[in-house]
Amino acid sequence: MTMSLFSLSKKMKKLKIQKKPAQQHDLPAKALQSSLQEQIDYIKEKTGNSIDVVIRKLQLGDGKSAAVVFVEGIADSKAINDFLIESIMNKHPVHNSQPIFEILLKEVVALGDVKEITDWDNLYLSLMSGESIILVDGAQKALSASTRGGEHRSIQEPGSQVTVRGPRDGFTESIRTNTALIRRRIQNPDLWLENMKIGSVTKTDVSMMYIKGIAKDEIVEEVRNRLKRIEIDSILESGYIEQLIEDQPFTTFPTLYHTERPDMVAGNLLEGRVAIIVNGTPFVLIAPAVFIQFFQSVEDYYGRADIATALRFLRILIFFISIIAPAAYIAVTTFHQEMIPTQLLVAIAAQRETVPFPALVEALIMEVSFEILREAGVRMPRAVGSAISIVGALVIGQAAVQAGIVSPAMVIIVAITAIANFATPAFAVAISARLIRFGFMFAAATFGFYGIILGVIILAVHLCSLRSFGVPYLTPMAPLIPANLGDTIVRLPMWAQKKRPRLFSDNKENRVGDNQKPQPSQSRGMVNSALEKGDQDEQN
Amino acid sequence: MNKINRLMCSLVIIGTALLLSGCWSKKELTDLAIVAALGIDKNEEGRYVGTLQIINPGNVAGGMQGGGGTQGPPVSVITGTGDSIVELSRRTSRKLSRRLYYAHTNLVVISEELAKEESISSILDPLERDAEFRSTAIIVIAQGEKASDIVKILTLIDKIPANKVIKTLKFTERTWGENISVSMQEAIKTLVSPGKELAVSGFRISGDVDKGKKMENTQQTEPSSLLYTGSLAIFKKGKLIAWIDGETARGSVFLLDKLNASAIAVKWERKDEAMVYELIRQKTKVMAKMEKGKPIVSIKVQAEGNIGEARVPIDLTNPDVLLKVEKVIEKEIKKEITMAVKQAQKNRSDIFGFGEALHRTNPKEWKKIAAKWNDIYFPEVKIDIVVDAFIRRTGLRNNPHQVNK
Repeated sequence: MTMSLFSLSKKMKKLKIQKKPAQQHDLPAKALQSSLQEQIDYIKEKTGNSIDVVIRKLQLGDGKSAAVVFVEGIADSKAINDFLIESIMNKHPVHNSQPIFEILLKEVVALGDVKEITDWDNLYLSLMSGESIILVDGAQKALSASTRGGEHRSIQEPGSQVTVRGPRDGFTESIRTNTALIRRRIQNPDLWLENMKIGSVTKTDVSMMYIKGIAKDEIVEEVRNRLKRIEIDSILESGYIEQLIEDQPFTTFPTLYHTERPDMVAGNLLEGRVAIIVNGTPFVLIAPAVFIQFFQSVEDYYGRADIATALRFLRILIFFISIIAPAAYIAVTTFHQEMIPTQLLVAIAAQRETVPFPALVEALIMEVSFEILREAGVRMPRAVGSAISIVGALVIGQAAVQAGIVSPAMVIIVAITAIANFATPAFAVAISARLIRFGFMFAAATFGFYGIILGVIILAVHLCSLRSFGVPYLTPMAPLIPANLGDTIVRLPMWAQKKRPRLFSDNKENRVGDNQKPQPSQSRGMVNSALEKGDQDEQN
Repeated sequence: MNKINRLMCSLVIIGTALLLSGCWSKKELTDLAIVAALGIDKNEEGRYVGTLQIINPGNVAGGMQGGGGTQGPPVSVITGTGDSIVELSRRTSRKLSRRLYYAHTNLVVISEELAKEESISSILDPLERDAEFRSTAIIVIAQGEKASDIVKILTLIDKIPANKVIKTLKFTERTWGENISVSMQEAIKTLVSPGKELAVSGFRISGDVDKGKKMENTQQTEPSSLLYTGSLAIFKKGKLIAWIDGETARGSVFLLDKLNASAIAVKWERKDEAMVYELIRQKTKVMAKMEKGKPIVSIKVQAEGNIGEARVPIDLTNPDVLLKVEKVIEKEIKKEITMAVKQAQKNRSDIFGFGEALHRTNPKEWKKIAAKWNDIYFPEVKIDIVVDAFIRRTGLRNNPHQVNK
C-alpha cells in the first residue's frame, strides 16, 4: 500500500515536470503575419483586450496604414507623441523605391534605440517592457522603439543604510536609474553590464555589473552561470535571486550582501566584486560577500581611519553581545555564581528572590516579548507605532518587574542585547544574530559557560565552512591573507591600502601610488616668509 | 553507508563531549544560601561548632523590591556541630531550606581557644579541599572571643559583617600597619614551609555581644557592639602561641614587607612624639647567610614619607635639619624592627621567614639545620639592620608656626 502510494507520488512528480515546459512555451514562437489587421487582432487576443495596451492606427505618407502599439504607464507617452506619432504623421516619404522600414528607421523615428522584430515572442517582450511597437501593413516585421518610462519613485536617501557623511542618493525600483547611479561613479568603459531576463512569467530584467580587468573571470563566470540556471516563474525582489544562487542555503548567515547605496556598490565593484541588479527593487546584491564585510560601513572609508578601526572593534563586540549577553546571564546565574563579585551576586539574588521562574524561562519571557514588540513596531502603521512602543515599554520595563515576573537585571540584559542588535550595521547579520541567540540561551541553560563555548566553537566551524561564490567566508582571516588584512577589523588609511582582495580580484596593480602618505612640506620656508611678511606689514 | 558512519561518529563525539563535561550541576540563585563567613569553635565535648553567616539578599540590596530592604537583618546565622568540618557543614542542612554555597565565603574565623589547642592546618584542609571554597578567603582569629560571636555581630556601613571584617583588615594594613590580612592560601603556604611560621591578625568585639546581634545595633550612631582588629597572633607548628601588638606588631609587618603606609612618631630634641613621619611607601629586603655555623640576617629597609606633624620649633626648610630628622626616623624604625625580632626569638617562632631566606642563599647548610631551626638557631640569629628613611615632602607647610615668632 505504502509502496504504491510512494510510486504514485513519484509519477505525479514526473507528470509535473513534464507539464512545466509545455506551460512555459505557451507563446507561439511564430513569425509575424503580414496583414496589419491580423496583427492587431492577434495582439488584442493575446493581451485579453487590456485597456492599457494602446493601439494607435495611422496613415503613412504613401497611403499605407500602420499602427503604433504601446502599454500605457510603462512607456513614456510624451516621447511617443513627439518622436513617433507626430513625426510619422508629418513625414511624406518621397522615394518609394526604398523599403518602408528603412525610411522609418533612417528618417522618421527620432528615438535612440530602435530595432527590427520578426517574431511574436520578441514583440511581446519589447511591448511589455515599455517599448513601442510600430506595425506596417503588409510587412512581416515590426519596429520596436525604446520609449521606456512612466512614473517611478525619484532618487531618495536610502532608508536602510543611513550615514552621517557620504552621498545621499539611493537606488530606486528602476534598473536603468540604478545602473546609471553606478556608472556616474565609475566613468570607465571597463564597467561592463550584462543583462538577462529571469522569470518565465514576470520576465524581470536582471543585470550583472563588474569591472573587466579587476573582477576575477572565474567569479564573473560563476555568477553568470548561477543566474542562467535559474528557472522560476517570478522574480519580485533581489531576495528571490539571493535564495537561488547562494552557496549554502542552510545557514542563518547571508552569503550575499545587499545594499541600497550606489557608493557601496561602486566601492565593491572596485574591489573586484560583481553586482547583481534586479528591476523593481532598490536592493542590489553584491557577490561574493565575506563575513567581515557585514561589520563595515561605507562611512568607515569616508571618515578617519583610526576612528573607523575603533568603530569596527565596537561592532564586533556588539555582535558578540547581541549573541551571548542573555546566554551569559543565564550561565552566570544558574551555574557559575562564583564568577561574579559577591556584592553583585547579592544584588542579583535579591532581584531573583521574588521571580518565580528559573533564569532560562525568565530570559525567554523577556526575549520573546521583546521580539513581539519589535515585530509589532516594524509592521504596525506609523500612526499606531508609537502607541505600541509606549505600551511595550511600560509593560516590559516596569509592570513586569513590579509584578515580580522578571528581575530588573534581566530587563537590562534584554535592553542591551536589543540595542546591540540594532547597532549592527548590516541587517542581514543582525537578524541572524537574533535567531542564534536563542540557541545560545538553551546551550547556556543546559551546560553553562561550557555550553556557550561549545556554541561559539560550532559557530566558528560553521562560519569557516561557508563559501560565497567559492570564496571562503572568513577571508582574509581564514585563510590568512596578510596583504588584505588592512581592511578587515582594522581599516588602514587609504595610502596604506594598496592591494585589492586577492581572492576575488586578479588585478595585481596597486590601488594607490607609492609615497602617498601625506606629510608637512620639507622646508619651513613658506611659513617663515609668511611670518616675516606679516611682521613687516605690522611695522609699516 | 559511509555517510551514516560519519554521522554516528560525530554524534558519539558530541554526546561524550556533552555528557563527560561535568558542568551539569545547575543551581538556581533562589536555591542557594550564600555563606559570607564561617566561624569555627570547639565546644566542651571537643566537637567542632561551625557558625555560618548567610546573606539575606533581599535585606542587603533591597532597592525597588518589597519597599526598601531594611526590615530584616542583612545576614542570618546558622550553627552546626560535628566531629569534622564537613560533617558540621552537612548537618546544618537540617536547619536550612537552601543549599549552602561557599564560593563567596571570604572570611574564616577561628576561635583563639581552638587555635591554641590544635594545629589550624587540620581546619584548613577540608576548606582547601572543597571545590567551592575559595583559597583567597581571609583568616582571622577571634581574640579572647568565640568565633561564633564575631560572626554574629551586625555592622554599620558595610552591611555584611564578613565584608566589614575583611575591609577593615585591608585598610588598616594599608594605613596603620599593625595588622595583616592573611588569605587561606598564604596561610597554608606558610604552614607547610619549614623556614617560616604563621602570623595572623586577631579580631575583637567591644561592648555587649548580645546587643550586637540585634538590628538596633545598626540603628544608632555609636553601635553598642563593634568589631575591631586585635593583635597579631604568632603561631608555631600551626598552633597559636602568643599575641604581639603595638610597635612590635608594626615592626613585624615591616619585616614581612607588607607595610604600605603608617604614621611613625619620633622624638626631637628631648621632646617625645614631637614629630610624626607619614610613611607612604617602603621596601624591606631580608638577606640571610651562615657565618661560622651561625646564621646572620641583614635587613635593609628603604622608607619614604612625608612630615605629617611637627609640634616643636624646627626649621624644615634647611636640608641639614631634614637629614638629621631622617636619622631620627631611621633610629625609630630600627628600634621597632629590633623589638619585633626579639619578641619572635623569645617565642621561638620565625614568623619573618629568615629560615626561608637562608634556604634561598644556602640550601645545603639549610638542610642540615632545618629541623632545629626554630628552637636552636632562630633565637640565636644575629641581625644587622640598615634603615634608609627619606623625607619626600614636608606637607603643604614648610615650618611649623612656632619658628617665625
